[in-house]
Amino acid sequence: MRTWMLLVYNVPNKPTSSRLFVWRKLKKLGALLLHDAVWALPATPHTREQLRWLASEIAELNGEATVWEAKQALATDEEKLIARFAAAVVDSYRKLLAELKRKHPDLAAISRRYQQVRAQDYFNSQLGQRVREALLAAKGVSP
Amino acid sequence: MKFVTWENVGVDRIGCAWLIRRFVNKKAEFVFIPEGSTTIPPGAEPFDIPGVKLSHHHGHCSFHALLREYKLMDDLVLKRIARIIDEADTVQEASLEEAAPGLDMICSGIRLASPNDDAALERGAMVYDALYAALKQEAA
Repeated sequence: MRTWMLLVYNVPNKPTSSRLFVWRKLKKLGALLLHDAVWALPATPHTREQLRWLASEIAELNGEATVWEAKQALATDEEKLIARFAAAVVDSYRKLLAELKRKHPDLAAISRRYQQVRAQDYFNSQLGQRVREALLAAKGVSP
Repeated sequence: MKFVTWENVGVDRIGCAWLIRRFVNKKAEFVFIPEGSTTIPPGAEPFDIPGVKLSHHHGHCSFHALLREYKLMDDLVLKRIARIIDEADTVQEASLEEAAPGLDMICSGIRLASPNDDAALERGAMVYDALYAALKQEAA
């Protein structure tokens, strides 16, 4: 079974900027909220480090946070969670593919967004590979 | 001067050690404790360990904390490097520095390709010397 990073936290309601700060960081990392209770990410050296820092930053915001490394007890649950992470990037990749099919796609903008989605593609989706290939193939076509 | 940080250094800690040796104390010594440990050896200044003074604060990297602590903010090239490390090592909304993801990967690779953390700090210092020189030329 794989290892997952879990974050449980709370920050004071005021100022609202604190809540937003934490929420945005979790979104940017591509973390998923499970059962409105726990934020999860696949364990990698990067996610481990980032969640540790986030926890210390939450403490600075007068909140409380604990970071856990966990394994699921049921393989089917794990597959479901992996599928959720995979689904989270599929939509974004599809949009990029659609944009690449248009006349004169903005390759600079699309490749920037590709990199952002790629950073959250923890399970190396095949669709991501297709976007990469499409971007490479489109090279030089843009006006 | 003795500094302590977690073993398996990366982009931020390699940058911090470079900054300390070039701009704070040439003879600074670095010791490493296991990742996750919060037992600081007596007489050593901890950095880039969650919860200590010289670490991430308000969304900024530890390099940034060192610039503040040692009053180096007037050096605009160092400030720029702090921004690059911010983007390389922390989650940022805006990406302005194209060097950031590359620097992150090169520093991870330096640690992987080095026999130990001391060697990684030494090799990594060359990368930061190079970055400093390139940014300085750009600013001139």
